[in-house]
Amino acid sequence: MCDTANKNIYLPYLTTVEEVIDETPDVRTLRLVFQDPQLSENFTFRSGQFAEYSAFGAGEATFCIASSPTRKGYIECSFRSVGRVTEELRRLEVGDTMGVRGPYGNSFPIEEFFGKNMVFVAGGIALPPLRTLICNCLDQRDKFGDITIVYGARTEADLVYKRELKEWQERADVRLVKTVDPGGDGPEWDGMVGFVPTILGEAAPSAENTIALVCGPPIMIKFTLPVLEKLGFTDEQVYTTLENRMKCGLGKCGRCNVGNVYVCKDGPVFTAQQIKAMPMEF
Amino acid sequence: MQKYISQQNFTALLDALIKQGTRVVAPKLNAGTVLYEPLAAAGEMVADQLPRRSGKEAFFPLCEEIMSYEKTGQQVALTDIDPARFPETVLIGVRPCDAAAIPVLDAVFSWDYKDEFFLERRRKTTVVGLACTTADDACFCTAVGISPAETRGSDLFLSPLVGGGYRCESYSDKGEALINSHSALFAEPSGAEALPLAEPQTEKFDLKKVKAWLDEHFEDPAWDSIATRCVGCGACAFVCPACHCFDIVDEGTEKKGKRRKSWDACGFWKFTHHASGHNPRDQQPKRYRNRIMHKFKYYDDKFGQTLCTGCGRCIRLCPVGIDIAAIVEEISKKEV
Amino acid sequence: MTQSIDTSSYSAITEAIQAEAQRVLGDGTVTAVIGYAAARRKGSAQPIVISQADDAARLIFTPACVNNLAVYLTKAKKEIPRNGRIGIVVKGCDLKALVGLMGESQLKRENLYLIGIPCSGVLASTIQPDTELTADTLASKCRECDAHQPTGCDFVPPQLPVAPELEKKYQAEISRLEALTPAERWAYWKEQFAKCIKCYACRQVCPFCFCEQCLCDRNKPQMVETTPRPAGNTAWHIVRAMHLAGRCAGCAECERVCPMDIPLNLLNRKMAKELKELFDYEAGFEVNDKGPLTMFTEKDDQSFIK
Repeated sequence: MCDTANKNIYLPYLTTVEEVIDETPDVRTLRLVFQDPQLSENFTFRSGQFAEYSAFGAGEATFCIASSPTRKGYIECSFRSVGRVTEELRRLEVGDTMGVRGPYGNSFPIEEFFGKNMVFVAGGIALPPLRTLICNCLDQRDKFGDITIVYGARTEADLVYKRELKEWQERADVRLVKTVDPGGDGPEWDGMVGFVPTILGEAAPSAENTIALVCGPPIMIKFTLPVLEKLGFTDEQVYTTLENRMKCGLGKCGRCNVGNVYVCKDGPVFTAQQIKAMPMEF
Repeated sequence: MQKYISQQNFTALLDALIKQGTRVVAPKLNAGTVLYEPLAAAGEMVADQLPRRSGKEAFFPLCEEIMSYEKTGQQVALTDIDPARFPETVLIGVRPCDAAAIPVLDAVFSWDYKDEFFLERRRKTTVVGLACTTADDACFCTAVGISPAETRGSDLFLSPLVGGGYRCESYSDKGEALINSHSALFAEPSGAEALPLAEPQTEKFDLKKVKAWLDEHFEDPAWDSIATRCVGCGACAFVCPACHCFDIVDEGTEKKGKRRKSWDACGFWKFTHHASGHNPRDQQPKRYRNRIMHKFKYYDDKFGQTLCTGCGRCIRLCPVGIDIAAIVEEISKKEV
Repeated sequence: MTQSIDTSSYSAITEAIQAEAQRVLGDGTVTAVIGYAAARRKGSAQPIVISQADDAARLIFTPACVNNLAVYLTKAKKEIPRNGRIGIVVKGCDLKALVGLMGESQLKRENLYLIGIPCSGVLASTIQPDTELTADTLASKCRECDAHQPTGCDFVPPQLPVAPELEKKYQAEISRLEALTPAERWAYWKEQFAKCIKCYACRQVCPFCFCEQCLCDRNKPQMVETTPRPAGNTAWHIVRAMHLAGRCAGCAECERVCPMDIPLNLLNRKMAKELKELFDYEAGFEVNDKGPLTMFTEKDDQSFIK
């Protein structure tokens, strides 16, 4: 949208860090407000899209927009600090300036999900791409049937978005199944203990008129897909997102392709059917 | 429009262009190596050698600034690049393999998002192609469907004539404008014969068949035997007229610096390496496979063409003698 | 008239290495042989790894067999199988690199089967592969070769190398540069480094650039700028020259493969000369587990500390 009006497609928008939330010891969420008030008003995106975030002096890193487009006036991104850029982003404090280019890529076809039950399955740091959609669904709750969220991490400390998890748990119109494994959490742990695919199998959401959205490390996805299949989900009913190393986000720089599929343009959202047709290059 | 220009007037044309402030880029000797470089005088042009690197850098430089940043307290000021600063250019003496690669790059930089760094330079450049009269055994333009007199990508095309001078044929408004701007230097076509064209020795590849094999053989033992010897440098990509992958990096101090776009190569292990340590192309044959796939399948899937114009530079310069023409020929003979 | 170089022994050498490779692959002495095979272009050769005795007939030795195959035995090349003993075809200059790698505990002698070449020289990089070998087409490194006949190999064909005395180009060029003022020398190297396109071909073919992750590929912190600009280019070439000082034995692969014709071996030879003068050390055929720059003795020259 706004990008085409920009002559220089590589020039980021400037945003101000409005809030810093530590999700886990190494995962942080930044809430960003566009410095240009008009842009702040007009910036739109769809759940599933990603952006290039600049730490000036270090470069750009790619993550999804983790907040929901229904919640206007800001965007959020969540990241683990592992590389040069993310370590620099982690040093940012409230009031600091950060760059954002986007939104890029395709998105979840949420309109096609209206009237359906939704099952969200996520592991570890991979909740952000689903969180945007979960919040989006909750903000128009009456358009969806049952909402089930199965989310797991290694320990309770590794669960991200603890504030939302609490909120979802308290809602009567959401079924949240949270799990840890290997666990080792204290007696106050009120969730399950076990791997996400196993817990999903036990939770056994119905596949009828349902869309499943899966995000997690490749190994979790690998074990989750057969569970969904067993529950009766077809590959067209299952969605996931891919992340490959990117630089431009614009379909030019040439590194994010999986076979002839450009994750930045053709993705990052794919159905299980599309994923299965791809060569193993992600 | 077809015209004739004598060798003497050709020199005069270049000098006149240089004098009027046009950037004239042509094959030129640069510290011992022939490259497409801006000329200071017509005499610097080396017409009889294929430059070591291709002509793509006239539009897509090795490295260029795409913005700069400066921090003051919590604020950051960005300075954009004004495309108006790209000079009017005549890119002259371009080999058909290099010129034919320009439309191939156009597709990448103009589909969907428009890369004005490339496109503005493109708009401001008149491409003058030059027919090839010599070829070595690394040349294989004819094998990928391009001729030593291929005019695709050229606004004006020069064919050297027996006895000197060139026949000039314009293929666009820009080409015509170049002739018209210095019309006194051009004459009506003479009856002189063109010098015989180069004759690359490779047989024409059945590119449809090559693609059909690639469509089905992402996993194949052939990749190991083709590319185990690959040492993972970027020489092939950097000298290629069609390769266009790039990196974006910030360089400078924490307070102030520039963001730059610079050539990158799928042969480097770092190219697809995630910060987490995961690398989808963790072995050299997988990286080399991407090179072949991109050139003869992926690009074709997207834009309906081949991402190779047969210049042969990667063959001449590969440190370990990897010969893309031999590889593609071998693939074309495989059972689909 | 151009002095031609007698390579008439190369066909007999080819036959000898084919027979030897067939024997050692056939009897299980080695699991693979790394050598040279003919390629499509007339007279050209390329590296090949064979593991079947029947493929031994593909091996050749010609003036186009320019590569230093030692690079394929380094950590940097993970794709070459590492099970059992591996045969490798080596010229004297290549052998020096293998010896250096043994000294640095990268390779064990007992894991290698060395097929040495009595080499009279190979072609320069810019020469078409089917060209006749003459004093003009000969690689510069061959003009000052002191290792025509490799020593300490498991097998060397009986033919003797022919090595005419030729003017030593690197020595002449080093003398020329040494006679310049520092400012002039700097101008020369600045012009050379400005040509660098950061393709890293020099690094990737170098047997001694075996770091799992090159300093220049790391970004935490970013020690060397990655873009092909003067700052990063100069830093890279200085890092490279320093890391090779006392290790590089002059196979000149870096210079051969540079697509931009940067005289990289000139820098290496200059460093080698310094090491010879300062520490009386030369990389050669002797396995040394400590190079002059990786150890300290009280007798070391310290005049540079000012």
